[in-house]
Amino acid sequence: MLQRIRAHAHKELLLLLRDRTGLLLVFAMPLLLVTVMAVVQDAPFRDFSDRQLRVLYKDLDDGPVGAAIRQGLEATGSFTLTDGRDLTDAELRDQVRSGRHQVGVLVPANASEVVAAGSAHAMALLFNPLTGDSTATTAPDSSRVWMVVDPTVKHMFRDLVHGSLVRVLAGISSERLLADMRVRIEALTGNSLPALDLRRPFVGVEQHLAAGELHGDLVATDSTAHNVPAWTIFAMFFTVVLLAGNMVKERTSGCMVRLLTMPGGTAERITGRIAAYLLVCLAQLALLLAAGLWLLPLLGLQALDLGAPDALPLLLAAALTIGLAATAFGTFIGSVCRTQQQSAILGSTAVVLLSAIGGIWVPLYIMPRAMQAIGRLSPLHWSMEAFNTVILRQGGLLELAAHLVPLLLFAAVCLLLSIMAERVVSSR
Amino acid sequence: MTAPDIRVEGLVKRYGHRAPPAVDGMDLEVRPGEFLGLLGPNGAGKTTLIGILTGVLAPTAGKALVHGMDVVKERHRVHRLIGLVPQDIALYDTLTAWENLRYFGRLHGLRRGPLDQRAEVLLERTGLRDRAHEQVRGWSGGMQRRLNIVAAVLHAPPIIFLDEPTVGIDVQSRAAIRELLQEINAEGTTVLYTGHHLEEAEMLCSRVVVMDHGRRVGEVADMQRGEGRERLEDLFLRLTGRALRD
Repeated sequence: MLQRIRAHAHKELLLLLRDRTGLLLVFAMPLLLVTVMAVVQDAPFRDFSDRQLRVLYKDLDDGPVGAAIRQGLEATGSFTLTDGRDLTDAELRDQVRSGRHQVGVLVPANASEVVAAGSAHAMALLFNPLTGDSTATTAPDSSRVWMVVDPTVKHMFRDLVHGSLVRVLAGISSERLLADMRVRIEALTGNSLPALDLRRPFVGVEQHLAAGELHGDLVATDSTAHNVPAWTIFAMFFTVVLLAGNMVKERTSGCMVRLLTMPGGTAERITGRIAAYLLVCLAQLALLLAAGLWLLPLLGLQALDLGAPDALPLLLAAALTIGLAATAFGTFIGSVCRTQQQSAILGSTAVVLLSAIGGIWVPLYIMPRAMQAIGRLSPLHWSMEAFNTVILRQGGLLELAAHLVPLLLFAAVCLLLSIMAERVVSSR
Repeated sequence: MTAPDIRVEGLVKRYGHRAPPAVDGMDLEVRPGEFLGLLGPNGAGKTTLIGILTGVLAPTAGKALVHGMDVVKERHRVHRLIGLVPQDIALYDTLTAWENLRYFGRLHGLRRGPLDQRAEVLLERTGLRDRAHEQVRGWSGGMQRRLNIVAAVLHAPPIIFLDEPTVGIDVQSRAAIRELLQEINAEGTTVLYTGHHLEEAEMLCSRVVVMDHGRRVGEVADMQRGEGRERLEDLFLRLTGRALRD
């Protein structure tokens, strides 16, 4: 029996090796996809600290407030500021509209004066009752920093600029109030007070990952961490097209009739086929992991972080289970299709659809709620969760098993249906 | 008297409840070492009968025994004793002849050494040895037909089934196949042959059974006793009629 299973596996590998288009489909296409998609999706995945927003900054104030806003925006690390002092307002708007800059910021000419006047008004309200000064003060005219945004820029980026400006302006006002208050108290008491540093908030924020440590400023999921496992899963499932096509060809060419009259049964044929395609899936895993580790960093992307070495057996278990599910699915498609065209169309469409809803193209969490519910039914989503559990969440075997069990059940159902379909064909 | 290698009793096969039976109460016996021709027009039920005898198709009713074993209940044991040359070229066209033969040989449990020796002898006998390392898809129809037969007799089965083994090939390839089949039969192999070439059947077969509408309609018991070609053709047309069977 083992000899026959080995013979079936060897034959499947030979058929695959002789099929150049098939090899391109199984190895070159996923490599190209992972590279292109990782580069394309790099920006949306990247941390905002990567200075990706180009801001055109026009400072008409030319005073401490204008300088402080500039310094505050630069300090966030999220923006690259270009000086637009010599531009007219219309030119500034035009440059943003054309996409050369994503945001334009215009600080009005009287910004420093308004801050000073506002602080002076607040001091008068606080200290005049203490000093008996009955001079009436009026609130200063309001002033606004003007922000113009490229219509193609996402809301989250607009909110980031707006939020940064509000935070910087609030800091400027607070510092000015504190400085003026210090001067007034020194004048009242005749004592010299120490300078206070308000740059550090009293209560700070500290970020942690639910698993492992946060490395530097990076977020856990970057483009590489999403795309390498995602397209590895896609590649494994795309072998369905090849596997099912070879099965249909075997049946229509007459080889199946010969096989049906030879020792060994359906189970041996399927086992041999699964063994061969599991090897193909492991080769795909090795190729795409290598791309994540060494190729993508050459293109300026993050290198794939596989976590601790003791996670490798779990990664292998996940890959073998995903490969089994993919192979079983291919066997099912090959069993129910009558022509190679049918199997090619049905196989590729099914895999593309299951991958789209399963979070391969874009992560499931950014999809609408209804799509998320549907996506959770996709075996490619279970596969993605299995890889994420090992690579990102640093989960153990039990956690991983929660995702592998549905995949194993899916494989079992597919194989059962395939065997039933083959028996129906052979008993006709 | 020796037990027949193939025995069929009241065999019926229907492909659907309303369809007429493809095989309709067929009886047949093939003795050891016999070269039996099963002739009949298109749709007579020859391929269906071979399908049942080789365990590919399940009969609707009746009994089919090969070497005394029921082809339904003991299908796996039957498979060790038979070789099938299907109507289609049952070869993997992107594999070489050697790779095809090694694959089929290993499925029959042959070890590498004896398998290679046997394959080499058969490839030599069929004039395919020099091109055995080429992919089959580049071969002529005649070469593929010859290899189709080699793959079926590689494990030296005592019984072989030939379903129109020489269809659509040139005269030279047909002659080579004929010689190979005669040699194999002379070595003691029982052969059940189907085809449309009456001349070929006369040359090869020791006995001919004529089938039509799934039933046995006639027989030429001894082809070697001067019952010539004319007689077979006349008999065939008388038994099956002159109406076209498209």
